[in-house]
Amino acid sequence: MNLRGAFIEDTFAEAFTMRVARIIITARSPRWAREAALKLTGFATSVIGCKVEAGIERVLAESETPDARPGISILLLTMSKDDMAKRLIERIGQTVLTCPTTACYDGLPEAPDRVGVGSALRFFGDGFQASKVIGGERFWRIPVMEGEFLVQEKFGMVKGVGGGNFLILARSADAALASAEAAADAMAGQPGIILPFPGGVVRSGSKVGSRRIKSMIASTNDAFCPTLRAVADSALPESVNSVLEIVINGIDANAITRAMRLGIDAACREGVVSISAGNYGGKLGPHHFHLRRIMAESAA
Amino acid sequence: MSGLLARLTSPLAAPADFSAVLAGGWTGSPAAELATRPVEIAGAGTVPLGDLCSVSGEPDGTIRFEGDFRRAVRLGAGLSEGMVVVDGTAGDEVGLGMAGGAIEVRGDAGARTGAAAIEARRGMTGGELVVHGSVGDGAGALMRRGLLAAGGAVGHHAGAGMLAGTIVAFGPLGPSAGLWSKRGSLVALGAVTIPSTYRYACTYQPIHLRLLFTRLRERYRLPVEERHVSGRYRRYSGDLADLGKGEILEWTAE
Repeated sequence: MNLRGAFIEDTFAEAFTMRVARIIITARSPRWAREAALKLTGFATSVIGCKVEAGIERVLAESETPDARPGISILLLTMSKDDMAKRLIERIGQTVLTCPTTACYDGLPEAPDRVGVGSALRFFGDGFQASKVIGGERFWRIPVMEGEFLVQEKFGMVKGVGGGNFLILARSADAALASAEAAADAMAGQPGIILPFPGGVVRSGSKVGSRRIKSMIASTNDAFCPTLRAVADSALPESVNSVLEIVINGIDANAITRAMRLGIDAACREGVVSISAGNYGGKLGPHHFHLRRIMAESAA
Repeated sequence: MSGLLARLTSPLAAPADFSAVLAGGWTGSPAAELATRPVEIAGAGTVPLGDLCSVSGEPDGTIRFEGDFRRAVRLGAGLSEGMVVVDGTAGDEVGLGMAGGAIEVRGDAGARTGAAAIEARRGMTGGELVVHGSVGDGAGALMRRGLLAAGGAVGHHAGAGMLAGTIVAFGPLGPSAGLWSKRGSLVALGAVTIPSTYRYACTYQPIHLRLLFTRLRERYRLPVEERHVSGRYRRYSGDLADLGKGEILEWTAE
């Protein structure tokens, strides 16, 4: 299969089941909602090193937020339920509670699985905190120097998907970057997904484990490193001189499929040799995103 | 709203105690069963609801009372579930000691709305009690939890001895509001005289009121204005003669 000159490899992305929470941050202005969102989603590219994967899902209009202020929706993923509570408490506590004018709400109100967040953060109020039940949901009012921080008591959590991906194999680093930027732009703001890496793009795709150090969980994906073509078991065609990866996490597999379709379509441009994907032979992750099937549906 | 309908067949000749009609579970009860529930008429003994109202419809968790219920007292007392609409004015002690569900009175309500039953230690312990018109004296006394909102004026001694919960007055809030409140919140959108046992804290924009007003506007069609949603409020802490963790939030044009 070819798309505008780029070969779509007959392979699949292998992804994992993760826990997902949706966090809604609102603020007096878009600026402060964004400031809090950037801090909350900072250092959250991979659970391997960050314990959490997070990103901005989309910007919310005032009409879409619980308190009718400008907002931002964030998806945050962890490997386990227990992790989710810990990560939400520490991240919201350190980055949203501290940010001027913000409030923080659960973005998955229908999710039956719920973890306490405001119920833990309230203790910052040192006994001066107060709660209000509005529409059946409890919110905590925590007094702060600026005024009050409002945070929902519990946040919903669902089983989502982490690790959807595709690889852009290009003739040059410039072409790879331009392609990745186009893909990330096309996927930005799509509901139900985030791109947790910087600008949505990864240059350091990894393989499981290490050839030399047993304790390492992951190490460089030598098969896709152009500089190692001569010394490693390379998976790269001769004409490829740079590879970038797009990683997509989502609320469900359908959201990732839709986003991959948009992203791959945008990525296929001049200088791109082929589009591939990262997998582990299909034995580790239960979610398989077959590139050709995804793009065939697009063509149909 | 479909569901059950209780239509008064003739005007109430004397005060009638409706406290047994919706106490406990009722949302699954058919109209015929509800019609057998007792109503105590002052000086005339107890009669089944069906003698006063035609009860019809299919149970879906809602009931509408149609007619002149000004002489009906304790309508919705002890309510724990469902949605109750009174299409007009209700008498005293609507929602007395209610624990859950919602009551919407589309006219005025009498004294001690949402208050505590005699000798009870707590008034409302949950649910939403919304009156589109004015509310009489002693509303929300000993309230522990829940929401009481009035689209018009609220009489004196509102929220007396509140333990927690929220009272919202779109019209003027009568004298001696919030006396002996421990943790309750009174939101005054109209005139209010702050009791001497409350102390001014600051003027600010409480974010939780945006959620509250959005709900009151969207679910109950109360006359919420943009100035209420995005406005500033003077916060008074009190009652300092008691625990002092309560508040009066007074809307201000400042």
